[in-house]
Amino acid sequence: MALQGTEQTILRDPALFYWILFPITIVMILTGILRHYATVLMNTPPKPASTLAESRERLSLLRGVNLRNNASAVLSKDAFEMRKNYLVSAYQSGEFLKDPASRGQPPANPMTDPAGMEAMMGMMKGNMMMMIPQTLIMSWINAFFSGFVILKLPFPLTIRFKSMLQSGVMTRDLDVRWVSSLSWYFLNLFGLQSVFGFILGSDNAANHMSQQMATMNPAMGANPFQPGQDPDKLYRSEAENLEVMEHFCILDGIEDRILHNIASKEGLV
Amino acid sequence: MAHAPPELHAIQSSSPITTLRLSQQASVILERQLLSEKNPISALIAKQEDPEKYGIIEQLFFSCLQTGDDRSALLCLEQLTRRFGSSNEKVMGLRGLYEEAIAENQSDLEHSLRKYDFSLAENPLNLPILKRRIALLRSLSRPVDAITGLVELLKAVPTDAEAWCELADLYQSQGLSSQAIFSLEEALLIAPNAWNIHAHLGEVLYTCARAAETEVSSRYLRRSIQYFCRSVELCDDYLRGFYGLILATSLQLRREYTADFTQTPSSTSTEDFLPREKVEKLNHLAKKKLEDIVKQRSVDRQVWEHAQGELIAAKELLNRESY
Repeated sequence: MALQGTEQTILRDPALFYWILFPITIVMILTGILRHYATVLMNTPPKPASTLAESRERLSLLRGVNLRNNASAVLSKDAFEMRKNYLVSAYQSGEFLKDPASRGQPPANPMTDPAGMEAMMGMMKGNMMMMIPQTLIMSWINAFFSGFVILKLPFPLTIRFKSMLQSGVMTRDLDVRWVSSLSWYFLNLFGLQSVFGFILGSDNAANHMSQQMATMNPAMGANPFQPGQDPDKLYRSEAENLEVMEHFCILDGIEDRILHNIASKEGLV
Repeated sequence: MAHAPPELHAIQSSSPITTLRLSQQASVILERQLLSEKNPISALIAKQEDPEKYGIIEQLFFSCLQTGDDRSALLCLEQLTRRFGSSNEKVMGLRGLYEEAIAENQSDLEHSLRKYDFSLAENPLNLPILKRRIALLRSLSRPVDAITGLVELLKAVPTDAEAWCELADLYQSQGLSSQAIFSLEEALLIAPNAWNIHAHLGEVLYTCARAAETEVSSRYLRRSIQYFCRSVELCDDYLRGFYGLILATSLQLRREYTADFTQTPSSTSTEDFLPREKVEKLNHLAKKKLEDIVKQRSVDRQVWEHAQGELIAAKELLNRESY
């Protein structure tokens, strides 16, 4: 540990600054941009349904969800009961399925199902887009710049930051404020998101966080079923959800509400 | 771009005047587009093409067709085709629309219909073409076929509110009111906050209620009042909603008034019984609101131009109801 109060000085060649710090930063930015465009190019949009029956299978689930969410705003009791009964029985009998004959059979193996294969390939491609450049750049930095201390932060830090800022430099006594080249790479990797946002727009593909989010909740218009998922099971659970629903309607007593609201507004004016 | 281009206003309103104005500017807008395409420097500067640009061209296309400027419409269509390719579903739909518009006789329209069937055989889920086909069937006055087609479409795409509304309209034109009500309810389930659909449902219910004076119709009337109320609750200066509310509550008042003589009040079901003073209050309030709206909008010249028709109708209703 350095003595308290004394400034640790290391004589650095200023060329280190220009030949390591800037190249790493620039390379990181350029690969980010390249990755964005490569992802855009290789990205295949989710395949739309090709037949009426397929589209029906996909969208009928949304109908149940819509009923569940919005019935209270629209329907009277009779209309609600009618729809509920219809949808529940249709879900349970598998009326909306693409081929009702294959109902109850185990889902096709996603490896053999061409549609599932395609989705998996899409995911693979996305992951590869992240993995390959990162590995390449990291090995490049390790090969050329390992062990260099390239800059000194203008503010003091606690000892805990040592492992973050000085990876690749095996000294115990070096002040935490010194940053090694490998750490500079990691800082860039996580810190350049806003730069990419500035250059490429907010929904860029270089941002790996957004990519992870996208795989978690796919857009509503796309296929709600993940590959390998059995629509029949989803239908059954939706039918259960619908069955336990109680009817209430915001149209009940709306006249009083209107009278009250508008009258109070008029009263204020 | 500090100010919104004037052509964007037309997208929001559908009055004939704005449509006409927009189509009169067709040559100017198209020229501007062409210039910016030809100029390589501006093409370089514009980093990404403006997504609104093609929305404007599409709007212009509709306006030109409506006003009979088929040549400009064709130019618009060509621009869209150049950008999106002729196999794009939406462009195919627009091309079909254009061909229908320039068709001179029945056989041309039949020809379009066959073309639609042909492209549907290739891709059975081509939504714009499916919809055009239904619209064409309707304009060929084959509403039953149109309804069948639309039901098929809705089986495949049950989450399309536009299609449900169109189906309701078709049913209504065939006099099948309860089916129309069902379809509108479906549309509302998809878009629960659409006050215009609420008001529309109210109108359909009101028409049903007016047709006959029975137990069922009084229930329709009751529901009609509810939906009108909901629509003005969602949008508190919606002229059409207040208009409908006045009509429905007046009818209710008249009904009850005559009913007092013919039948005992106990025959009306108690659960959805609306006391007379509340209906009166609602009627009164709706009139007041409508008067305010009419007064307010008549002053503003621009608004007056856009909404002339409905304002005049509202005034007339107020005059009629005032004595």
